[in-house]
Amino acid sequence: MITLNVNGQSYQVNVADTSTPLLWVLRDILGLTGTKYGCGKEICGACTVLVNGQAQTSCQMDVSSAVGKTITTIEGLAAYRLPNDPAGAPGVGEKLQAAWVDQQVPQCGYCQSGMLMAAAGLLKSKPHPADADINEIKNICICGTYQRIRAAIHEAANS
Amino acid sequence: MNESSIKIADALDRRDFLKVTGGFLLAITLDGATNRSVAQGVGSTNITTYLRIGADETITVFVGGGEMGQGIYTGLAMAAAEELKVDWASVKVEPLTAISSWLSAGSGGIRSRLPTFLKAGAAAREMLISAAATQWGIARSLCVAGGGSILNTLTDETLTYGQLAPAAALLPVPAAPPLTPAAQYQIIGTPAARVDLPPKTNGSAKYGVDTFLPGMVFAAVKHSPVIGGTLTLQTYTNGIYPKPGGAIAAVALRPLSGGDYNAVGVVASNTFLAHSLANGISATKWTAPADAALRDTNTYMAQAKHLMGRGAPYIAETFGDVEAGLTNAAQTVDLTYTYPYLAHCCMEVLSCTVRLTGYVAGTPSAGTCEVWAPTQAPNTTLNTAATWTGLAKTSITIYPTLMGGGLGRKFEQDYIAQAIQIAKALPSGTPVKMIWKREQDMANDQFRPMALIRIRAGLDAAGNVTAWNCRHVSPSISKQRGATLGAKGDGNATEGATLLPYSFGSRLVDYVVHPSPVPVGYWRSVGYSLNAFAVESAIDELAIAAGIDPYLFRVQLLQNSTDPLAARTLACLQDAAATAGWGTALPAGRARGIAVTMAFNTIVAECAEISATATSIKVYKVACTVDCGTAVNPDSVEAQMQGGIFHGLSAAMWGQVKWTAGVASASNFNNYRVLRMNEAPAITVNIINSGAPMSGCGEPGVPGIAPAVANAYRKLTGTRILTLPFFPGATMDGI
Repeated sequence: MITLNVNGQSYQVNVADTSTPLLWVLRDILGLTGTKYGCGKEICGACTVLVNGQAQTSCQMDVSSAVGKTITTIEGLAAYRLPNDPAGAPGVGEKLQAAWVDQQVPQCGYCQSGMLMAAAGLLKSKPHPADADINEIKNICICGTYQRIRAAIHEAANS
Repeated sequence: MNESSIKIADALDRRDFLKVTGGFLLAITLDGATNRSVAQGVGSTNITTYLRIGADETITVFVGGGEMGQGIYTGLAMAAAEELKVDWASVKVEPLTAISSWLSAGSGGIRSRLPTFLKAGAAAREMLISAAATQWGIARSLCVAGGGSILNTLTDETLTYGQLAPAAALLPVPAAPPLTPAAQYQIIGTPAARVDLPPKTNGSAKYGVDTFLPGMVFAAVKHSPVIGGTLTLQTYTNGIYPKPGGAIAAVALRPLSGGDYNAVGVVASNTFLAHSLANGISATKWTAPADAALRDTNTYMAQAKHLMGRGAPYIAETFGDVEAGLTNAAQTVDLTYTYPYLAHCCMEVLSCTVRLTGYVAGTPSAGTCEVWAPTQAPNTTLNTAATWTGLAKTSITIYPTLMGGGLGRKFEQDYIAQAIQIAKALPSGTPVKMIWKREQDMANDQFRPMALIRIRAGLDAAGNVTAWNCRHVSPSISKQRGATLGAKGDGNATEGATLLPYSFGSRLVDYVVHPSPVPVGYWRSVGYSLNAFAVESAIDELAIAAGIDPYLFRVQLLQNSTDPLAARTLACLQDAAATAGWGTALPAGRARGIAVTMAFNTIVAECAEISATATSIKVYKVACTVDCGTAVNPDSVEAQMQGGIFHGLSAAMWGQVKWTAGVASASNFNNYRVLRMNEAPAITVNIINSGAPMSGCGEPGVPGIAPAVANAYRKLTGTRILTLPFFPGATMDGI
């Protein structure tokens, strides 16, 4: 039995093999299916979550290494805030979601959980990212929504 | 922001529905001919969709699945809302369990059903007007619908749709309700926020892989590593395969054809474990096909070259005397283009969840089957389930989920049949969710066919094209599936080579079937993306041979043409050229290239601006102009063009699956490279609403980008790219 802190909630998780990737514990044991499997090789970024506020792929992260850390998934993005987010105003997570809808970013939407979490990680380190900073997001979108993702990140950063 | 996910509606029951909401439910058939209200019964198997007006003023449009990012939920609901005269914001969309006649393919998701949804909205509106007129005791003509209510023009009183719904539900359905003239549309043609997007930003959108049921177990599949290989032993009783330690079960799986076992399904307590255990099934368990050594890209290409010269062709299109035209031409071009197999690589790998309840194998009447599937073809999935369970269709329910990309791959049924076979080996009532590993998904695709295309063409001294001969050699999707080809061959192979809008003195398009057994299927835009690269590259070479600017050369060929689409094609071409600033100066090291294509009756012109190094091409901008007749949701049309261009560009740059002794070269994104953020061009999309009949938008953005970029590369470097992909063997940057 291990304890995971996901989206501000503590979960007691019974996982026989603690080398099971966090992705599959989130999806198959906790039922948090918003985090997606895409490649299983840390290439596509569909499984990106925040680990202590840093964007990280979860498909090859042993669940044991998530113990004691703060995990935020797409299901927790709406409530996710940065320390500098003004009280009473939408936090960075909510602003990203609003910008994603405003720019009508998703098509099939499958990669967008990972894209949003990558963007949340980016805005923590670069609150006003330049295009070159956004280019550091290497997540894959087969639908080709990159142009709108870029616009949405700028919108969220400037809102 | 936190709207719940779109949920699948259970089979709607009129009495339950009325009991709960007191509203109005209209059932609609696809042809719109036999609209019937709830009051008249909803038992028809032809029902395509429902429209619900709740006593709480909610308007719900039900759709039969098929959402894979193209905006089908939104586009169809817009049509119903338009005729119903309600505010777009009041409309909700819910997917139904599988209903007949619902298929998402051929870029037809919206266009094929738009008339039905318009008519449904109009019928409901007329019934609401009748209910109001009766209540007020005035003529119907004195009642006006708008904003979700009916106005009494004598008194300015209003009755809301919710108030009128119970009475309206009892009225006869008008057979031919008046439709709003297109010029008066308020919703269609304006950018509408897509209804499926909020759930796609908060994790609540449910794709096939997200199906979650009580007591569910998890499955993975391992196919023969050699394409066409089978399990060495074929004697497993009821498919029970020796299970690896830690597995709940293992099942030998037959292909959709019902032939020898070609895969193993492994069931475990979580997907990761299932993937790991399946992955561990040894290569020694498989028997390769006898001709495995010949299942090789070099062999296939040698065969294609042989067939190019000597194959017996199907004549897809012919006009005039091409050989005479070539003989008498002042100049000729002769170009042969080579294409690899391509994988779909949808972001969501193949997945299917099945629950068999009370099911006894061999007793076909016993039990029920439920299937949750990301499928472009729910009704075909119903047929698949009936075949593989032996149950009557009335005992089967298909729940179409959102698709994390379809791209033509989720039209297929192989994965559905596998999940059913796995469920049959489990205790009754056990739901099993099968998710393919990415490596299985890439290597066991139904690939876009490899091809060899040769174009010979002749010019006279004035730059007119006197002769055009295109020979296309590729495996036939239809023939591989058992169809007998007609006189013109396989239309999916030659689409985009035939019906060109240009003025040609003579033309001959023919087709030779390639015998490769590698499974082929429908890859976004199908034959169009193959042929457009050859055609629009060859047009550029003709322009260069004639000494005419490639854009102006196309203008000339279109202005001289009597083809019915020539004028619209010209308009798109001119608009894209103007948007791109064709002919204006560029920074050093950059060049532009242009192409114009027609697919699924939609015309798209694309002008790309590039620079190049020895190992890569950078595409800065693409100016795209599209004429799809009428754009229902312009924002979705823009998104589909952007997406099609990205998809086509990824494939052109790097996409290929090679075969070595039957083993696929592609296994994951590290060796099947696709575009990423830093490589994404800025794409502008202009829409021309020509008023022509509405045409599809999901696929037509794809074909033009490869030739537009190749034409720019020719301008920049003097080198004509004849082989796709442009940069074979390039692995994902930084991996």
